[in-house]
Amino acid sequence: MTADTISAAFDVYRFRPGKDTAPRYQRYTLDLAPHTPVLTALLRIRAEVDPTLALRYSCRSAICGSCAMQINSKSRLACETHIGPEVERHGRVVVEPMRNQPVLRDLVVNQRPFWNEYDKIEPHLKLDPRRPMPEGKATSMSPAQVERFKETPRCIACAACYSACPAVEADPAFPGPMALAKLYRFVVDPRDTATEERLVRIQPNGLWLCLRCHLCTEACPKDVRPSERIRDLKEMAIAVQGGTELGSRHAIGFKENLKGQGLLNEMKLVRATSGFTGMAGELGQGIRIWRKKPEILRRPRTIEGMDEVEKIYEALDPPPKEGS
Amino acid sequence: MKLAYYPGCVAQESGKELDMATRWVCRALGIELVEFPNFSCCGSGFVDEANEVLNIAINARNLAIAERAGLDVLTICSTCQGMLTLAKVRMQDPAVKARVDAALRPLGIEYRGTANVKHLLRVLTEDIGLPAVKAKVRRPLQGMKVGAFYGCHLLRPADEMGSESAEEPHAFEDLLAAVGATPVEYRGRVMCCGFPIQFVKPSTASAIAGRQILDAKSHGADAMATPCPLCHLSLDAYQNKAAKEVQKPLDVPIFHLPQVVGLALGASPEELGLPRHLVPTDAALAKIRTAASA
Repeated sequence: MTADTISAAFDVYRFRPGKDTAPRYQRYTLDLAPHTPVLTALLRIRAEVDPTLALRYSCRSAICGSCAMQINSKSRLACETHIGPEVERHGRVVVEPMRNQPVLRDLVVNQRPFWNEYDKIEPHLKLDPRRPMPEGKATSMSPAQVERFKETPRCIACAACYSACPAVEADPAFPGPMALAKLYRFVVDPRDTATEERLVRIQPNGLWLCLRCHLCTEACPKDVRPSERIRDLKEMAIAVQGGTELGSRHAIGFKENLKGQGLLNEMKLVRATSGFTGMAGELGQGIRIWRKKPEILRRPRTIEGMDEVEKIYEALDPPPKEGS
Repeated sequence: MKLAYYPGCVAQESGKELDMATRWVCRALGIELVEFPNFSCCGSGFVDEANEVLNIAINARNLAIAERAGLDVLTICSTCQGMLTLAKVRMQDPAVKARVDAALRPLGIEYRGTANVKHLLRVLTEDIGLPAVKAKVRRPLQGMKVGAFYGCHLLRPADEMGSESAEEPHAFEDLLAAVGATPVEYRGRVMCCGFPIQFVKPSTASAIAGRQILDAKSHGADAMATPCPLCHLSLDAYQNKAAKEVQKPLDVPIFHLPQVVGLALGASPEELGLPRHLVPTDAALAKIRTAASA
């Protein structure tokens, strides 16, 4: 080991489904410069130590999105994650395949579930044949229109967001951050004529399962910020349809709730979202909580200056116009 | 040190014990809490989904209240922290600011963006400082292994929250160590508690909560601690449902952040509202006593 290198221990996930009974972690120790990318280290391991290690990669320059994997539990591109900080923080580099997609071998996953969600949002421009674009105008957009989706085209479909998402992990009904960010891209494209149809279709198909935990935005190597685009979709879906889903009813219910006292009225909100039937279904749990926390039935105080809040609502949340 | 106290809705109602513990700890550490009965709810992320600019305006009003008093804001809820901070960030967009100002100006409210918004975790670790906290410890929590559960909005989006590393935070663990507890590290500590979809799909919400509790438990945690009363609801009040979803017994007591600090500083369980929890905290407290008498 020279002064410029560190001794780095890699614990690499190894698994051949159908052949191995269980996954195992194989330890490789290499002397490397701290700025060495994890991908470079893995390729050295494969070239010099163990040719059977399977991994997916291509460009090595954070452009192709092929080498996403879990590095010390974080979903990252291996080509742009340096070993130095990982060794310093964790004492080793644990390398595992991405989550939420079945392992094919070692670090290689089957990305079919991820791409299926992408296909489902119909990721192509939908044009209305009855409303042809004027000649020569078909691709013209104002700078302001382009500004609305400047982030989403940066997506390299690496699936780091899909791997990091707790909603994907817990519920197959959730399309995942990438598919929804791509959907947003078509919803705000002024050339697309299926905006409403897209929003109506996504509402009952997982839009409201987003936890707004922002783990996708944190994992994204290209700063696409999927969680923020999902928020935009939610607001646009409400504008188109109102509260048709439990999620949209809850968001609207919450907004209306604050008009009362300026503070959350918990019981009123539950009633607005779930209705009396839904509340009855949760009666047992409600009583359990009420016995320790009787305040759940209490009406909150009204804040001072409630008239100010009401005026803000009047200015920025006017009721929908008649007939709209 | 004097701060505008923004307790948020839950700590004023079903999460009253968080308010009790915060007041106790702040008194012990010489933090003066100034109350503003005109603070409104932060919108909890839900109003933001229904009408973003409305939510920004509501929070610009909250921030302006603290600004007028020349105080920084103390939050004790990750969601409040996230929403107030997000309003500050969004108000840097001139188009947004123009719309919000137009709604606030007729009310005589001016938002300038001068008040900082700080969660109790940051105040304790950055402003009061760990040595000062440590100096006040009367009953070190030796023997109690605690998994810090950061949740989401204290950390993310990292570039907007302006906090420590969102992927590798350590302030909470540092605080736990300062009061004598043994911090337990586990992947779930920066994951989501599931609460935002508790009313959308309770089974999924509880499955998510269950994973994080199980993760902490399997790494040896006797208890978990959270900086957010919504995480607390999900992890404590709904822990029975979480256990059902992950099909494992959990029985992990969940502390609010100031309760852990308060215990070490000498508060009684009653003063910290521990009897109000759904999952009894006795087993975790017994760990401290056992270690103290050993």
